[in-house]
Amino acid sequence: MKKTLTLLVASTALTAAIGVPAWSAMQAPSDFLRPVAALFDDAPETMPLVLASDDDDDDDDRWRGGSRRGHDDDDDDDCDDDDDDDDCQGGARNPAPAGTVAPPQNGLFGNGAPPQVQVN
Amino acid sequence: MKSLLATLALTTALTLPGFAMARPVTLTTILNNYGGDGAYLALYVTDTSGAYVGSLWMAGGKSKYYEHLSDWYRATGGDTTQVNGITGASVGAGRTLEITLDLADALFDAGYTLHIDAAVEDMRDSPNEVAVPLTTDGAGTPVTGRRYIASFAYDM
Repeated sequence: MKKTLTLLVASTALTAAIGVPAWSAMQAPSDFLRPVAALFDDAPETMPLVLASDDDDDDDDRWRGGSRRGHDDDDDDDCDDDDDDDDCQGGARNPAPAGTVAPPQNGLFGNGAPPQVQVN
Repeated sequence: MKSLLATLALTTALTLPGFAMARPVTLTTILNNYGGDGAYLALYVTDTSGAYVGSLWMAGGKSKYYEHLSDWYRATGGDTTQVNGITGASVGAGRTLEITLDLADALFDAGYTLHIDAAVEDMRDSPNEVAVPLTTDGAGTPVTGRRYIASFAYDM
């Protein structure tokens, strides 16, 4: 009887040892098992990254005047770069340059010559 | 009723100059040697009550920096359609920007004011750098800016 019980306990432990990691590999483990699943998870990159501090030293405050509003010099691939493409998705579009479309109908302009600009 | 009148007055104020005759006006802006990158400049017009009427020119093509032209940005909400077709490059320190526009006659001697907001990377924003009434008498008279603009004048 004692031997049977020992075998049952051992097989249960073995099943748990093998089964829980396999279960954890399945998608969306339930909340109460998440800590256990995380222990055996072989994809730790899915865990949320927690930053201890965001006090980095990159030069983020290049445009001044009251608040930090949009320009940094880090090398990340955001829409703050200084290249000439318009790759900032989701932000306001850049205006059409002079000469490509007519000036806005704001009542200030006549219907004559298009704007002419010169920088010396 | 009051709001209807106000709307009518506003639309009339916006529309009337369009029916008027126009003339070429040259806006000349000379920048100081402030020792920074190219300046973003917003040239725009307000009416007698100080309300934004429209933009005349935007120097600087990237809309993400327009919020630094704070008065213009506040008035327009950063709406880039306000400067479609009247946008050029930013202007370097010590450079002269000369723009010739076909402007409505009705803009002059009617209480309109031309404003310039300026902003430079790494330097302080300068809203309302220049504010000059649009009058025929004032044509050709240089005005000094507060921070980045050495002088501004309009000639007809």
